[in-house]
Amino acid sequence: MSPSITVLYFAAASTATGLFEEVVELPASEPLPLSKLGTHLTSLHPKLDEILKTSQWSVNAEMVSDADSDMMLKGGEEVAVICPVSGG
Amino acid sequence: MANPAPSTSTAAREEWKGGICVLTYEPLDVETIMRSVSDDRAGATAIFIGTTRNSFQGKVVTRLEYQAYSKLAIKTIAESIRNAHNSVSPSAHHSAHHHVPSLISCAVHHRLGTVPVGEPSIVIAVSSPHRKEAFAACEQILEDVKEKAQIWKREYYEGEREEEAEWKANNC
Repeated sequence: MSPSITVLYFAAASTATGLFEEVVELPASEPLPLSKLGTHLTSLHPKLDEILKTSQWSVNAEMVSDADSDMMLKGGEEVAVICPVSGG
Repeated sequence: MANPAPSTSTAAREEWKGGICVLTYEPLDVETIMRSVSDDRAGATAIFIGTTRNSFQGKVVTRLEYQAYSKLAIKTIAESIRNAHNSVSPSAHHSAHHHVPSLISCAVHHRLGTVPVGEPSIVIAVSSPHRKEAFAACEQILEDVKEKAQIWKREYYEGEREEEAEWKANNC
């Protein structure tokens, strides 16, 4: 069974994909750099393209900063698309 | 009728000495939240209540809906409370010999799901020996929550189709 991650969609990302969450198999069954995840998700959901431009990532419920942008996903992670927030 | 919410947009609570964060689908009770920060050492309690406005740029708002990535949002809000404890400095007239905390307790409650016009969506309560710190912390926590908490608001307008309701962004 190939490794996969769970991707969570909120707000505009959820409206664009029609989903709240999705199990995504890592392409070619090998670790995927987080920096390439956006392109992969957009190939599955073209409407995500614009949204991802202004969104951040969280991995396992921790925000990913620019310093961690070379993070590798190995499978099993919970990744969320964090589009611009509007709480409070 | 409320739209379905992500399974990760759950009610949540984190509480420790000096801080309480709550995400809830229940209406917010300002009295109860105020009492949760009360302390005999407090000379001041600052409260902020954010309520749903009935209009946005000339359009009539019929309701707001909030969803959250709760397990991360609660951590982010807890961090903003801890930051306030660490960064809001004590009043100048305290002598260095007495350890008086500048803040006693901070509570942040955010409502999820549908919030009708006029009802609170967020309540922040801060108790402190003195008013300057209470006001400063309350404002700082609010600004932090608005900037960072993983919570999203959708605004529904009168006369517009539900599917077209906009997801708002705080810093746009």
